[in-house]
Amino acid sequence: MKTVTRILVVVSLCMFLVSGCWDRREVNDMAIVIAMAMDKEPDGRYRLSIQVPLVSSLGAQSGGGGGTSGDKSYYVDSAVGRTIRDANGLIQARMSREIYYSHHRMIVIGEELAKDGMSDVLDIVARFPENRLTAYIVMTKGKGIELLTAQPQFERFSGEAMRELVKMGGITVSLKDVAQMLGTPGVDAILPVLAAVDSHPKGKSKEIEATGVGLFRQDKLVAIAKPKELLGLRLFQRDFTPFSVVVSLNKHERLTISLSKGRANIKPVIKKGHIHFKIDLYASAVVVENQSNLDLEEEKNIRMLQAKLVEQINSGVKHMMQTIQQKQSDFIGLGIALSRNYPREWRDRYRNRWNEELPKITYEIRSKVNMANFGQTTKNITQGEDDHE
Amino acid sequence: MKELIETMNACSLIELEGIPISPQLGENIDLLKKMFSDCSDFVIREFRQKNSVRAIAVFVDGLIDTKEVNSALKSLMVLEDGDQDIKVIEESLLPVSQMGRVDDYKKLLQAVLSGDTGILVEGNTEALTLGIRGAEKRSVNEPEGEAVVRGPREGFIENIRTNTSMLRRKLRTPRLKMKSLVVGRETNTNLVVAFLDGIADPEIVQEVTGRISKINMDAVLESGYIEEMIQDNTYSPFPQVMYSERPDTVAAALLEGRVAIFVDGTPMVLIAPVTFWMMMQASEDYYERFQMATFVRLLRYVFLIISLITPALYVAITTYHQQMLPTTLLLSIAAARESIPFPAIVEAFIMEISFEALREAGIRLPKTVGQAVSILGALVVGQAAVQAGIVSAPMVIVVSLTGIASFTIPHFNASISLRMLRFPIMIAASILGIYGMLVSLLLILGHMANLRSFGVPYLSPLAPLSIGDLKDVLMRAPWSMMEKRPSFLGVQNARRMNDGYANSIQQRGGQSGVTGNRHQSEEGQS
Repeated sequence: MKTVTRILVVVSLCMFLVSGCWDRREVNDMAIVIAMAMDKEPDGRYRLSIQVPLVSSLGAQSGGGGGTSGDKSYYVDSAVGRTIRDANGLIQARMSREIYYSHHRMIVIGEELAKDGMSDVLDIVARFPENRLTAYIVMTKGKGIELLTAQPQFERFSGEAMRELVKMGGITVSLKDVAQMLGTPGVDAILPVLAAVDSHPKGKSKEIEATGVGLFRQDKLVAIAKPKELLGLRLFQRDFTPFSVVVSLNKHERLTISLSKGRANIKPVIKKGHIHFKIDLYASAVVVENQSNLDLEEEKNIRMLQAKLVEQINSGVKHMMQTIQQKQSDFIGLGIALSRNYPREWRDRYRNRWNEELPKITYEIRSKVNMANFGQTTKNITQGEDDHE
Repeated sequence: MKELIETMNACSLIELEGIPISPQLGENIDLLKKMFSDCSDFVIREFRQKNSVRAIAVFVDGLIDTKEVNSALKSLMVLEDGDQDIKVIEESLLPVSQMGRVDDYKKLLQAVLSGDTGILVEGNTEALTLGIRGAEKRSVNEPEGEAVVRGPREGFIENIRTNTSMLRRKLRTPRLKMKSLVVGRETNTNLVVAFLDGIADPEIVQEVTGRISKINMDAVLESGYIEEMIQDNTYSPFPQVMYSERPDTVAAALLEGRVAIFVDGTPMVLIAPVTFWMMMQASEDYYERFQMATFVRLLRYVFLIISLITPALYVAITTYHQQMLPTTLLLSIAAARESIPFPAIVEAFIMEISFEALREAGIRLPKTVGQAVSILGALVVGQAAVQAGIVSAPMVIVVSLTGIASFTIPHFNASISLRMLRFPIMIAASILGIYGMLVSLLLILGHMANLRSFGVPYLSPLAPLSIGDLKDVLMRAPWSMMEKRPSFLGVQNARRMNDGYANSIQQRGGQSGVTGNRHQSEEGQS
């Protein structure tokens, strides 16, 4: 009996020791993926590109060596495979370090892939445990790999630059958001569109710029809208981010007005099988630039500005609604509003063919703008002094 | 008696128990001379009293106060007539304040070897011991191991009587009991078990004295011998008996119902039973205002955890859980580790062990060389190793943080046991990652919950929970709120102060009444 227990103890101790270390991985044996891009090749295969920082050139201790290659602090590799993991295997085959995905924070979807439908490739990002659902996802015109190879001036990696840009840009879509948008009937996905552009004045670097918003129907790209075309979109976002509009009084006099708060309320009404949306918008505005002679001390001027703003917002949102109807892409979630107010009708009639239903809906837009603040001065100070003289 | 003298060989005091003092002085002299042959410091002074009765004085040179002994002998030999009967001598002839009468050799020699002077008179079966001691001793100094900013600056010294007197000065009450014990066949070390009667649990006192009196070893040179002999669990890494060299700490412990053990020859006084939380408390916590004391206590708990797990956490995260780090931090760690030839665990071991070696060297070396060691250590372990690419800068930060953290634990024996436990946790972390760390931490926690110090659970009052006592564990409540003594020690008298005193001060809101009255009278005059 005693020998049995002794053997058991030894065996269990061995188990403790030998079962360890199987997933041990030193930091200097890893290739940490910062950003990845997925494209579709003309032959239908997938191209996976990854951006990996070259840690040895990241300003570490100089001693001890460790090769540096050129002045670039990162390295982009890509491979074409039948699946994304297949491509990953090909990259791994020529990379001396283990590719490690837990720290990738940007996913770039190429235009072709977006048009063809991105659900298939996004499965890997959700299924593979190293991936983070908090990574941001963007798309680009053309090839995704071009964004990865761009070298912006401010950040060490374009992945980092993209991330900061997306966070500031107002339309921030993480992997989790995409999964929700794709998985929920009644709302379609949007993705910010980034592009690598030459810097002005022209230099070595290629900067990343937000150029628009990609509109999807289900998981397929239907249009890329310019930011101006979607003036009202930010009002419908869950987290409102301030943005500014230019109000022209006449040919020469303009004011820049920033909308600091905004809220949209969508109320659907079904009358005789016809869907009508009442859209209420509320915004509060701040004057940030006054290139006119307008005296903001006078209330009638403020009212006039408010009216102009309402007009501008209304036309912007109207334009957006037209886009929604034309492209049949419900990216502001009209369907969700409908499903919440008319759950039975939604389930029985609209749920499965909501995108076809979109062109048939009617809507009315009512906006209210409150001019909360007009900056530190009332009139343009230089012009004000002219008056006195 | 003669046979005894002949067969007598080197023997220890215990074997002398029950051997009576012979009425014939000659035999006594023979026996003592035989016993203390080749003892140059043992003096047998033969003399005759004024009335010609033979007597001897025995003492150890250097342990007595020669002047005082001379004057005592003077009164026998010159001033008084002397007497055959030792009782008369004791009662009316010898002007010595501390005197005892013993009837066997064990007691006699024990007293003499402790510094008393023994007087044997012809025809008596009893001897006198004169407590005129004058051995050299260190003066009372500031305790170096437990320095405070605010609080008394006196520390115990190596002399047990001085130490007990320092305690008595703190607790002037007949309740303070000091049981005397002798341990050690060859050292015959005096021990004093001190406790407050009516507060300490009598069973704990009995348990402590019982365990001590069962000790049968040849020597007790430091209180550590006693500590290891009476502790509950020898193999536990945690100390189950606390020591202190501060009289105020010991007095506070006694007032909480604990027992103190003074050992002659060391300034370290043992305190039992203890809990883990006591190891995290400094005496100054009770002298400084409570907000600061509470803050410092919480700080210590934080640094306790840091000192225990930081290297393990670093190893676990950099080898298994890289996803837990913020990306930029991972990149800088990766950059720092790029050229390091060792795995993280080897690196951690190199650094931790060299840190421990530095610390040990700093303690042992003479103070003049210590400077050099710290400079070399800072250079070798810090700067040069990083520049040479042998260890990474983050590892140096981790090790220094751990080192600093372990020094915030006020009791040295607790901090070294935690420093020791760091290594198994590091190994577990290197094999199984954070899972391994948690397993080892749970094992440690389970062991601590299982541990007892003289019957008191080591983690009490947290486990088993007694809510009322928590106000002195995670925080330090203001004194006015600590109306009761900790209950988990089984104290006899739980109340520390009278009821509701603090409330009465709060309600009265200061001295407004007095000034108010004066104003009224002034108004009346005008």
